[in-house]
This record gives sequence, structure tokens and C-alpha cells, in this order.
Amino acid sequence: MPEPPIGRRRHPSRRSVLAAAGAGLGTALAASLTACSSASGGESRGVTLTIAWWGNDDRAERTQRALRLFEKEHPGVTVQASNSDFGSYMQKLATQAAGGGIPDLAQLDYRQISQYAGGGALLPLDSAVRDKRIRTADIDTDLLRTGTFGGKQYALPMGRGITGFAYDTKMFKKAGLRTPRPDWTWQEWAEANRRIAALGLKSPDGRPVTGANDGGVNEDVFETWLRSRGGKLYASQTRLGFSEDDLTEFWTLCDDLRRSGATAEPKDTVQAVSIETSPMGRGLAASDYTWDAPFPGYTDLLGDQVRFCPCPTTDGRQGSYFKPSMLLGIGANTRHPEEAVQLADFLTNDPRAGAILGFTRSTPPNKATARRVAKTLEGSELQIYRYAQDMEKYGLDAPPAAPPRGDVAIQIAFKRQYQRIAYDLASPRDAAREFIDEAERELRS
Amino acid sequence: MSTVSTRSPASTDPDSAPEGGAPQRTGRRRTVRDKQWPAYVFLSPWMIGAGVLTLAPMAVSLYLSFTDYNLFDPPEWVGLRNYTEMFTEDPRYWRSVGTTLLYVVVAVPLKLAFALGVAMLLKNLGRGRSFYRSAFYAPSLLGASMSIALVWKALFNDGGSVPEALGWIGIDTGGWVGNTDLAVFAVVLLTVWQFGAPMVIFLAGLQQISPDLYEAAALDGAGRWRQFVSITVPMLSPVVFFNLVLETIQSFQVFTPAFAISGGDGGPADSTNFYTLYLYERGFTASHMGYASAMAWMLLIAIAVITAILFRTSRSWVFYADEEGGR
Repeated sequence: MPEPPIGRRRHPSRRSVLAAAGAGLGTALAASLTACSSASGGESRGVTLTIAWWGNDDRAERTQRALRLFEKEHPGVTVQASNSDFGSYMQKLATQAAGGGIPDLAQLDYRQISQYAGGGALLPLDSAVRDKRIRTADIDTDLLRTGTFGGKQYALPMGRGITGFAYDTKMFKKAGLRTPRPDWTWQEWAEANRRIAALGLKSPDGRPVTGANDGGVNEDVFETWLRSRGGKLYASQTRLGFSEDDLTEFWTLCDDLRRSGATAEPKDTVQAVSIETSPMGRGLAASDYTWDAPFPGYTDLLGDQVRFCPCPTTDGRQGSYFKPSMLLGIGANTRHPEEAVQLADFLTNDPRAGAILGFTRSTPPNKATARRVAKTLEGSELQIYRYAQDMEKYGLDAPPAAPPRGDVAIQIAFKRQYQRIAYDLASPRDAAREFIDEAERELRS
Repeated sequence: MSTVSTRSPASTDPDSAPEGGAPQRTGRRRTVRDKQWPAYVFLSPWMIGAGVLTLAPMAVSLYLSFTDYNLFDPPEWVGLRNYTEMFTEDPRYWRSVGTTLLYVVVAVPLKLAFALGVAMLLKNLGRGRSFYRSAFYAPSLLGASMSIALVWKALFNDGGSVPEALGWIGIDTGGWVGNTDLAVFAVVLLTVWQFGAPMVIFLAGLQQISPDLYEAAALDGAGRWRQFVSITVPMLSPVVFFNLVLETIQSFQVFTPAFAISGGDGGPADSTNFYTLYLYERGFTASHMGYASAMAWMLLIAIAVITAILFRTSRSWVFYADEEGGR
């Protein structure tokens, strides 16, 4: 840097140079600081709302159609949508929440409500509910209550879901198995897997077809199994509801089935992030544990011989339960709360939106919509609607209280610990012990 | 800059200031502090950037490392608990340390050896050298991207080209991605493939070695290997050292390839759960930002210590020609 030619000619005073530089810097700094927020904001004329959800292509396509309808009826409002698979969605939303800006509307899991509402990331909806900008008259009060935290409404249920198994009826028939009934047992289920594997069928790439995806990685499967035995995942917000012995028994069952070739190989289980990449989607398994909402994706991919059956029981006791499959919340920092509320109400209550969305988030929360849409259902959607009715008739236990905050981390730990068993790095007993240590640390903090 | 900082306050007296430009300045008293201002003004964009975007976040993360912070509630001071938990209660922490060390110890020497080998080949190439240099450098530019990592995953997955090709020559590995023993090596190979940056530096270093030395050695009857061991290696050792330090520091921070190849969870069964991946999971998936911050600081300290050790050992094997009075 050459020496500035001070004093050789008239030049602006040092003070004015500094002032100018300071002003320039000030604007540069302001621009860089506001760059983040302006990206998500809209122009002064039109309003841009952002909305995010997780789910399959069918859900994305239907939701987009409903959003286009909303845009048409609200000139000047543009809705920007983004969606991804469950795992990356959770991480992205957490990152956005840390930066103080989740989308204007976000689909939330039951597990996230206490964390997001308690942390001030969601807008309370009570006033909008009170003056009927969001209509809730047609929503079951118990279901609506799942969106509350500390007595305030923070989210609206988007559907009511239940778990079960997608299974290939042709393979079941070939193995001489009966259609699973709501009272079939875990022993019968294990036997069914063995018999399908014993058929010696081959997948498209020439590998043996197994009975099912390996449920050992999935905390939901464990919960279903546990509840069928009268247990529960959490005894309270700070305590687990099961023992090391319970978990060891479950993982031993999964481990034995996998070892005998009755369920999918570990390398196929770890790669499953969607229906397409799941063992069943790849033709490597005859069944897969899943929720009712994504089930139509299985028939779309694999054909109508795939049907939905109940989870196995322990001596007739079902572990499945009705759960808000997902909820819709409004970001606390939204710039357009008015429009966001309108969109939330539109997606929840508008009959045309209801018709477009159908059962893509399982049974719609608005009872009138559910009844009306049910008449038009066919194929796999009609199947899950009937399934929910059958299970209601069969009788299920009440849903558990919303899981504690550490649950997200515990769910991941569950998967990882079972992978250690599957790859022969730990025995079921050791993995269960380490998992419980980990979970208890998580609940304590 | 240098003239400004070395000048003593006495130089404000015009008579004792011999430098050009300054003596013309009369009537106004100027102190050294005065004269430094323009420099700071011009430096300020960088300083503000460093302060706001680097130092301040570092300070915040140091503070957070002593707290329990879940992204939503205000941080709660817990003293050293994150650190004690990390060292005494968390087996996965140590497994991630082990995985990372394995990766660094395998990937860095392999990558440097590969880079040096290719640089040696290119050195004696006449025409087309700059073309090959650019071609081999390209992976370094592409390698850090998510898309390359995903392509890599497809290559090494079940039915991917690499397991297939290995199958033809009778080595049946199956997919690497779903294999706890091999997944980490898929990441290692992706790293080695990006040998371009150290290669370019090696190439420059090789061209610095005087041909006289090789000529003299050849006259004395030294073969190629002898020349490599006795001339190339010692003369190149400062460059080797430079690359070694740089690559080691980088390797400890490997993230993107492992994230993409494992599908984001460091699997299967934690086999690619590198330190940074575990840090990310603790912070952004499990929402333990305090713990993640503590992990980040431990990583910083570990890298500093290892770099210091490398510098120490360098005294015994790095040869600086000018220090010996040569050249």
C-alpha cells in the first residue's frame, strides 16, 4: 500500500473521508445483516408465504394442487412450498428454528410440539380460533388437544394416523398364510416371515426374498410390541417406561429373525429412507411396517396385490393407537400472520382442499370432510379408511401423552444401537444396556 | 504499513523525518496513531468480517460449551458438565474419535503418496503437462461438493460400478456403503481422489530442485531410487511437511463425503460417524448445542496439539537447504 499523498494537494479532510467510509461500511454491514431475512420476505405488493412438510411424492403433488387453489382465490398471495423426507426435514427445521425463522407454515410431528411451542418458535393460534378465522367446530376435541402446549393452541392436527403392515397378498397366499386379522400374534407374525423366506423366491436382482423389513431399527415397532404387552415407551417426561429386559427380548426376537434370513439383511435395512429404497420397495421383502398415510405409495409402486394389515398382538391386545399423524403450525416470526392463518384454515377446513388432499395425511381432522371424502375414496385410500374403522371397532388403548423432548435423539439412538447388533458389534443385551444409559442421559438433560 | 509502524513518536518533528512525502507536512501535529487510521479504515471490512463472522461466533460457542442449550430455551450454565459427560459417559464420543483417527491416519498418507507419485510422473512430461495438471486438479475442485459424494455413494453401493468391477476380477466385496468395515474406505478413497491440490504444490516443489544435484548424483552412479531417496525426498521435505500439516488439519474436519455416503447418520452402525458428523448430530438433530460446542472446542484443541507435535517432529526430518548454507 503506497503512502497516501498527504499534503501534496487539497484533499477532503480526514474526518470527512472517515465519515464517508463509515457510512459506506454501515450500509454494507446493514446489507449483509439483512441479507438473510430479505431472502425469505416478499415484495411490498404481493405476499409470499412459505410452507414446508415431509412426505412422499403423492403428498407433495396433492398439497401443491391445494396451494395453487389457495393462490387463485387470494390474488397477490404466492405460496412457496418445500418438502423432503422425514429425517432431513427434522434437521432442517431445527436449524431454521435456531436461526429464528421456521417457514410461515410448517408441518410438525407430535414429538416436536412441546419443543417448538415451549421454545417460542410457534405462533399461538388461540385468538384466531376464538374469532373463527380458524374453524375448529368439526375437529374432534381430543385430536385438537394434541396441538396444545401449556394450555394454548399452537398447532392444528392435519390427520389422524395409525400403524400397520403393508404386505404382499400373493406371497402370503403362496406361503399358505391366512389374511392377518386384528388379533393375530407376534408369534404368528414371526412364523409368517419364516415361511415366506422358506419359499425361496428371488428379487429382481436375484437375491432371496425375506418376510419383512427388519423392525429392530424402528422405535415405533418396538413401541407397538411393548404396548401390546401392556408396557409403554415413557413412564413420564423424565423416565423410560420399559426395562433393559424388555428391550433385550425385543431385539433378540428381531436378531433371531434376521439371522435366520426371515427378515431383511442389515445392508438393505440401513439404506431404506423411502418406500422405493426399502427392502419391500426393492422386492427384497414381502411386508413392511408403516403408517396408514404413506401406504398408498406402496400400491402405487408395487401394485394392488399389496394390502394393509394390522400390527400383531400379544394375546389379542393391540399396541397400535390413533395418533395425530402430523400437525400444522405457524412460525412465530411470520411477517404475514393474517395470510398464514387463512392458509391454515383453508388446508384444514376448505371442502375443496379436503377433496384434493384426500387421505394423503391419513384421515382428515375435519370430520365433515372425512365423511365426504370417504365416499369418493377408492383403492388403497378406501382400504386405510376402512382399516381405521375396523381398528376403532376392535378397540385400541388411548394414545400416550406427547413424548418428552429428548425423544428425537432417543429414536436415533435406537436405530443405531440395533445396527450394532445387526452388524455383530454388540449383543442384544449390551446394546440394550448402552441404549438405556444413553436414553436416560437424554431425559435427564 | 511497515514505515508507519516502525516510526517513533519523535518523527512528528519534521526535521527528524527523512522519509519522502512526510516532511512537506507542516503546521499540523500528527501522531503515529493518527497516521495508522487510514490503514485501519481500509482494513475494516476484513476486520469487521473476522470479528462478526469468526471471532464473535467462536466466543459464543466457547460460552455455549459451558451451558445446556437446546436452541429454543435460553442457555443454562452447567460448568464443565458437557466436557465431563463427553469424556466419561459417552462411549459414542470415543468411537467417533477412533473412527476419525483411523480415517486421518489412512487417508492423509495415501493421498500425499498418490499426489507425490502423480507429480513425479508429470514432472518429466514435456508437452501436455499443463493439460494433465489441470485435469488431475479438477477433482479437488469438485470433490467437496454434495453431488460428487452422492455419485460416489452410487459407485460404491450394491450394484455400483466398483463392486461390480471388483467382482469381475474375482474380488467379491458386495456394496461398500452398507458394510461397516468398508464404508469408511469409500470415504477415504473419495479423499484420495482429490489429490490435486497437494499434487500442484509437490509439482512446484519438484521444479525447484536444482537439476545439478541429479546430474552430479548420476555421474556418481546413483540409480533412480537412490536419487529419489537421497535428493528428492530431503529437498522436497519442506513441501511434504507443508502438505502434511494442511491435509491433517483438513482431514480432521471431514464432513460432506461422510454425511452424503452414510445418508446423514454416520452409519451403518456408526462406522462412518466421524467427529464432525457426531458433532452435527448432537447439535442439530438432538438439539444439544452446548455439548456440540464443547465438542467443537475439543476438536480445535486436538488439532492444535497435533499440529504442534508435527512441527516438533519436523525438526528431525525436514531439511531446509538455506539453513545449511547451501544454494
